[in-house]
Amino acid sequence: MEQSQENNHRAQGGSDVTIHSPIAQQDARARKTFIFTALAGLLFLIALPFFAGEYHLSLASEILIFAILTSGMNLLLGYTGLVSLGHAAYLGVGAYATAVGTALLGYPVWFVMLAATFASLLISFGIGLLSVRTKGVQFLLITLAFGQMFHALAEKTRVTGGDDGMTGIPRIDLGFLGVDADHDQVFFYFVLACFVIALGFLRLVVRSPFGSVLVGIRENEKRMLAMGYSTFPYKALAFGISGMLAGLAGSLWVQHSFFVNPHIMTWQMSGEALLMVIIGGSKAFFGPLLGAAFYVLAKDILSDITEAYLMFFGLLFVLVVAFFHGGIAGFISQIFIRIGRSDRKDL
Amino acid sequence: MTFFIFNLVNGLQLSMLIFLMAVGLTVIFGLMDILNLAHGAFYMVGAYFGYVVFQITDSFWVALAIGPLLTMALGFLLQYYVLQPLIDRGRTAHLDMALLTFGLLFFTIGLIDLVFFETLGLTFMSIDKPPALAGSIDIGIMYPTFRIFVIGLGLGVALSVWLLLDRTVIGAVVRAGVDDREMVRAMGVNVYLVFACVFALGCWLAGLAGVVAGTGLSIDVNMGVQILVPTLIVVVLGGLGSVKGCFLGALIYGMTETMAQAYAPALSLFATYFLLAAMLIFRPQGFFGRAPKTV
Repeated sequence: MEQSQENNHRAQGGSDVTIHSPIAQQDARARKTFIFTALAGLLFLIALPFFAGEYHLSLASEILIFAILTSGMNLLLGYTGLVSLGHAAYLGVGAYATAVGTALLGYPVWFVMLAATFASLLISFGIGLLSVRTKGVQFLLITLAFGQMFHALAEKTRVTGGDDGMTGIPRIDLGFLGVDADHDQVFFYFVLACFVIALGFLRLVVRSPFGSVLVGIRENEKRMLAMGYSTFPYKALAFGISGMLAGLAGSLWVQHSFFVNPHIMTWQMSGEALLMVIIGGSKAFFGPLLGAAFYVLAKDILSDITEAYLMFFGLLFVLVVAFFHGGIAGFISQIFIRIGRSDRKDL
Repeated sequence: MTFFIFNLVNGLQLSMLIFLMAVGLTVIFGLMDILNLAHGAFYMVGAYFGYVVFQITDSFWVALAIGPLLTMALGFLLQYYVLQPLIDRGRTAHLDMALLTFGLLFFTIGLIDLVFFETLGLTFMSIDKPPALAGSIDIGIMYPTFRIFVIGLGLGVALSVWLLLDRTVIGAVVRAGVDDREMVRAMGVNVYLVFACVFALGCWLAGLAGVVAGTGLSIDVNMGVQILVPTLIVVVLGGLGSVKGCFLGALIYGMTETMAQAYAPALSLFATYFLLAAMLIFRPQGFFGRAPKTV
């Protein structure tokens, strides 16, 4: 979509293009489209609690939490071109750190959330330093191996309840605002705020020179090396940031569901997150959000009919990879391009 | 001492089961550059279909003979009519193929869950051991005959695969295909047919492993995912594409896993992942894999 092309141009062309060049015009247009889409989406989400019931609001919170995870994963997958199959581990780090910090140690939730997110950043950066030495299929396998190691750790640890997990995890105390996060509406707004901060941060990252280097690595790592970039720290940091967002999502997840167990660290979880990114569209900034929304809603509808919802997702995943690399986001943008073709001849 | 021997033979048995899976995966990767994550799905299908055959004929041997034939046929069709045309249409990046087959694994799990669990209501299934293999024999300790059979089967397959690849014309074509696929094509070999046959053979082995596992262990919907991770570890340890490495990798995996469980249960869950991580960090190409091209 526009996003990746735009970054691509930035990576190759630098920032000294004049405003009259076609690239700059396209850049400006893409930015306008982005701001419009983001604002429209945000308004919709702010208005949501006024017409959605408790149950659907809870689903919406779930979608936003997953969207933080998948958008973070997409920094690696879509922007840097590295497919990780172990991101559930960092979701788990955030979740378990929050659970231990609040339910066992009794620290305030806001502090634990910050600490858990920071811990995920540190741990995933460390794992990133080891993992990004490989690429392609090997990278996929090493991330899987580390993911399984964390899963094993969670299953073996006695203080966190081993296989059974932990319950009774509190939600954040928003008493100073005069509201109670145990209400689903309040918690939804809290998740929304975290979501906006997370995606705003991610947007800054992908628009920064750092983000341009990541796109450069995806497009042609040899060229980036030849240009004098040491790509290794960039990839490791991208892995770290991506893991940090997964950790934030994990921290929100345990507050959402009040409990945690090792299941959220299984590689099926990583796989399902990967399904969300690919189905939503890894080439667009909001693709992972669309994927998360599609996944949670479709699962909700399908699970009324059959437990075997994985069958449909698997099939869809195959079709998207085989025939439609843009995913849902790519599909939508193609419709728009087709509608507006008459005035977009220059594209 | 008997405890040690018991674990040693157990480790060998596990090694051979994983080897049956891993050898197909590694040859497919070496030849076609496809990391077939759906290999676990074929293992599952083999077990379930073997179970169906067993229910009809009441014979383990018939199930063992016929069960893997379905996965072989499915594997051939998948490679020849789905994967290869997609590769020709430009989906060459092997990551695409890994993702696609990964989706296929999820699809199969869902489908089997739908058919066997939701529709037929079957949960704990397993194929009965034939009378000849049901007891125990004395190999210094009393040991289940079926596990000895699994070890023998694994060694037999290892020997056959080695003979096939190293001592026959078919094997020569396959090895040439691993080295330089374009040149083999230029010499008039129908490479696509060779690819599909090798893929089918790999899937036959996966199906065979499925029937064996469905007899010794039990059959459930998670079996495909559960076997896949050890299989991938073995393939990476040995080096992607290397049969010799695969055998060595399977032995190391099986022994590490079994010995860790016997002597250091607390570490058993980490031991093999630690092995994999260490290998990827210090020698990403595995024991016998080729060094990756720089960048």
